[in-house]
Amino acid sequence: MINERTCQCTTEPMQPMATGDRAILPKGAKTIPIYVMGKKYDVPETLTIMKAMEYAGFKFIRGAGCRGGICGACPTVYRKEGDYKLHFGLACQTVVEPNMYLAQIPFYPANRATYDIETIEPTAEAIYALYPELFRCVACNNCTKACPMGVQVLDYISALKQGDVAKAAQLSFDCIQCGLCASRCMGELPQYHIAQLARRLYGKYIQPRAEHLQKRVAEIEAGKYDKMLDDLTTMGKDQLEKLYKEREREPDMAPPGTWMPKDTQYL
Amino acid sequence: MKISYYPGCTLKSKAKNLEEAAIASLAALGVEVEELPRWNCCGAVHSLADDDLIHYVAPVRDLVRAMQQGSQKLVTLCSMCYNTLARANLIMRDDEVKRKTINDFMTEEPDYHGEVEVVHFLNLIRDEVGWDKVREKVKAPLTGMKIAPYYGCTLLRPRSVAIEPPESQELFRDFLTALGATPVEFAGSSVCCGSYQILASPEASKDIAGKIIAWATKAGADALALSCPLCEFNLGKKQPELIETGRIPGAVPTYYFTQLLAIALGLGDDLHRLDLNTECSLELLKSKKCLTA
Amino acid sequence: MGYTPEMQELIKRVEATRPARVEMARRGENYPALSLEERAVVLEKYHPDYQKEGRRPVKVGADKGLVLPDEVATMLESVSLVRPDKIDLSNVDFEADILILGAGGAGTSAALLASQAGASVILTTKLRHGDANTMMAEGGIQAATQECDSPFYHYLDTIGGGHFTNQPDLVAALSHDAPLSIAWLESLGMVFNKLPDGRMSVRHFGGSSRKRMHSSADMTGAEIMRVLRDEARNRKDKITILEFCPAVELLMDEEGKCAGALLYNMDTREFYIARAKAVIIATGGNGRLHIKGFATTNHYGATMDGVVMAYRAGVATTCLYSTQYHPTGVAYPEQNVGLLITEKVRGLGAHVLNIDGEQFCFPLEPRDVESAELIKEGVEKNKAVITPTGRLGLWLDSPMIDMLHGEGTVRKELPAKFIQFDRHGIDISKQPMLVYPTLHYQNGGVKIDADCQTTIPGLYSAGEVTGGLHGENRLMGNSLQDVITFGRRAGIAAAKYVSGCVQLKKLTLDHVVKFEKELADAGIDSPMIAPILLPDYATDEVSTKRHMEARSEAIQEAE
Repeated sequence: MINERTCQCTTEPMQPMATGDRAILPKGAKTIPIYVMGKKYDVPETLTIMKAMEYAGFKFIRGAGCRGGICGACPTVYRKEGDYKLHFGLACQTVVEPNMYLAQIPFYPANRATYDIETIEPTAEAIYALYPELFRCVACNNCTKACPMGVQVLDYISALKQGDVAKAAQLSFDCIQCGLCASRCMGELPQYHIAQLARRLYGKYIQPRAEHLQKRVAEIEAGKYDKMLDDLTTMGKDQLEKLYKEREREPDMAPPGTWMPKDTQYL
Repeated sequence: MKISYYPGCTLKSKAKNLEEAAIASLAALGVEVEELPRWNCCGAVHSLADDDLIHYVAPVRDLVRAMQQGSQKLVTLCSMCYNTLARANLIMRDDEVKRKTINDFMTEEPDYHGEVEVVHFLNLIRDEVGWDKVREKVKAPLTGMKIAPYYGCTLLRPRSVAIEPPESQELFRDFLTALGATPVEFAGSSVCCGSYQILASPEASKDIAGKIIAWATKAGADALALSCPLCEFNLGKKQPELIETGRIPGAVPTYYFTQLLAIALGLGDDLHRLDLNTECSLELLKSKKCLTA
Repeated sequence: MGYTPEMQELIKRVEATRPARVEMARRGENYPALSLEERAVVLEKYHPDYQKEGRRPVKVGADKGLVLPDEVATMLESVSLVRPDKIDLSNVDFEADILILGAGGAGTSAALLASQAGASVILTTKLRHGDANTMMAEGGIQAATQECDSPFYHYLDTIGGGHFTNQPDLVAALSHDAPLSIAWLESLGMVFNKLPDGRMSVRHFGGSSRKRMHSSADMTGAEIMRVLRDEARNRKDKITILEFCPAVELLMDEEGKCAGALLYNMDTREFYIARAKAVIIATGGNGRLHIKGFATTNHYGATMDGVVMAYRAGVATTCLYSTQYHPTGVAYPEQNVGLLITEKVRGLGAHVLNIDGEQFCFPLEPRDVESAELIKEGVEKNKAVITPTGRLGLWLDSPMIDMLHGEGTVRKELPAKFIQFDRHGIDISKQPMLVYPTLHYQNGGVKIDADCQTTIPGLYSAGEVTGGLHGENRLMGNSLQDVITFGRRAGIAAAKYVSGCVQLKKLTLDHVVKFEKELADAGIDSPMIAPILLPDYATDEVSTKRHMEARSEAIQEAE
């Protein structure tokens, strides 16, 4: 399915080139030993753990997702030779190191509370009621140490104990819900579910609503643009091109809501 | 000298009247403190088990934050937080073995050896301002207010972290005197409010709360001055139940000591937050003409 | 790690031209954009879609004769994973009013709206709920919510960006619904970038006349997906979620109505019969086919499954010959190659520069034009940086952003990107990024109307799997809006359809039998077995050692 061809875009003399996402061992590059669940494989250095495992012959069903560090499918734990420490990372983002011992944790059980976003109170107390285990936190900080996104997990849990939902929402924003925090928690908290709830309460109830949006919704529902859009859908290409070329461009540096075009008949 | 301030979770949620009055008063008295930019729950309870080191991690992390802020002192208001932080601090200062274990566990933080001193708000006022200066700054003295100072259990126990020698009980008295109030000595001032029994034996907890209030009024007090959100829960918020079950005859005003300070300093309503206290607490102040507004 | 010493030398050239460029940007001056005529020339000459090589007419099906990329044509000429006559369709494993294939942004939106309308829903997906390209969309979502903007201009920008090849009813539906979709997301508790008074902090993007890009830091798609998924999980009573359970074939009833799908449990390798009165295909795009060997920004599961299944059932496609190359994929470091660098970086003012630190194009041309311009600068002008692995790269001058909008803007507006590069020792608020076009989006796909209905009764489709909305080129932020607007529309339309009296007759896979006969008649030997579900990245060395040809049949079956 993937055409093995040399990259068309290079003007340099040919060297082995990767196509698509298939890893290769470039000319002159070294391999290093890594241990996947205890078993040794020699893989090209500089690859990510994910690509190195694929190079070694693994085909992921679980443990691979976006392959770009944002979906949380590939959390991985590893240890290095001569280092007692447990290290954490995303397999798609972490570069292999010689003699690393790794295992993926593509899933970790964590309970999630069901709630009704329309009727829940936007308070920390509402969160305590759904997740009373919040108070089992002993501030050991294992969660923060495990987070591959550098989220200050303990700090957002602390913010909730302090009643500050907005702060918890902001501190947890980069969370990709991989579950490593929950896997390491002494208090057995499902941190990332708690954070999700905090962010939704913040987005729905605490952040100020966009008034211009409410206004536009009302205009659309009143049918203000129906005729305009109907006209456009039946318009010939020449007329569309003319209108397209005549568009005024909102200035780059004008803050939102401060500029108006000269032609306002279609607003 | 730089002083860090540790608020504690309850002060940010249920006991805003304890905190906001304190912060405003410090500003009025010219004492500068800086709230910790990052802090976690202190753990609220000091573990007595000799090998239960994990419960020291939370307070020690807060102490490390104060050290990172470059402070020599960490001031706090809530009695539980004070007790937990101060006792953890002593362990880190004096117990070499536990210190090493805890520091080794918290590899992501700098090593801590008890560099920061944990002080209670009352000590800070006494030492940084002094009672004479407080008296000078008082604009609305609490004249005619007979107030029983209630320490609860954790400000005086154990002796190693007591805010003053347990048998002296001068600190609270001097504080109230400086504000122009009349302190009323009573037998229950350092009896536990019942908090520790509230889940296991709620009735016992209510019994002791009722007794404390009764002892105070019997000694001639119009009101109680409190320092801890848990005490306030048992001695303040629970009063309707205590009345209903005949443990006390009627409602008795309670104030956080920081509210009394803010009122005496003549700070505005929005700062002393009496809106969060029981109705009778506000009425008493009005009847004694202690409110400037 | 970080940049090699040679590359650091080259960065000095970028730094040398930067002060003058920043001044220019502050004055609101830009490198001149191309006219429509000039755009046509650069596309014709440099865009991969316009090259003849690597394309051929498809030999079977509703689009017989249509010229498509080899990889796509092969997929349309494929056979089923199952022998249709050997599956007993009378043993139904799952049943619901509506079966939704794919649990990304479109599928989940459809599930929420359909369940809200009272329908019972099965949401089935190949990987985990939310594993989809939606999750990866960084920059934002379009909607004409500002006073200076209107659906009229959203329509014009979209159809102009698509070179007037878009399907008009779909563009009108998108422009019309976009603000409603944003309001819906806001009501679900999505965290948007807002000004202190609640006004949406909107930005420009390639091909925009108005600031219309709403965002949530540089994780807009991830934030949308997190919120939608969370909400779906709150509705357990109406929505059943099946993970690692992709559909591999549509099921029809004897009257030609769509009546469910054959699912495949990836963990246990069982097949399930799922019967439903309506089916919504929302399986996403085809980036993982790696057309022309290009790297891709796409999700692991983006293997064109939905188009394959629908095509086999007789549904035609539209614009499927068109693929979007995102102009700014990562070219360095090697670990991140192909990954997207959101257009927002250019929307925030970063210039695109050649090896000498010179601008050579307007940074916010429509994506296909911008990509063609980069390929031209690299291949024809020979002005690209060559990376240590021999890839071409052009500079994207991200440090300009802090200079234009204040210290810390990069970290605040592009946190995920900052972390991603910081891991490899590159501080993008201080050093520029190396970029090159990468395979980004399946512009065409299943043909639908504005209610997401296909030509088969009971079969709906929404999101990247469909075609027509974007014509031959998609604008930034219209894909997230696509999945929300048309996901919602599909959910509503399907719920309305099933609330009428839909009587399902006996289930059949006859359409597969018929299609495979057509393949045989067309003389296609050894066709691909598809949907392929996941790409195969085994190296040649490993593949050889698997000795597939030497295996006995029993072992092959156990595979």
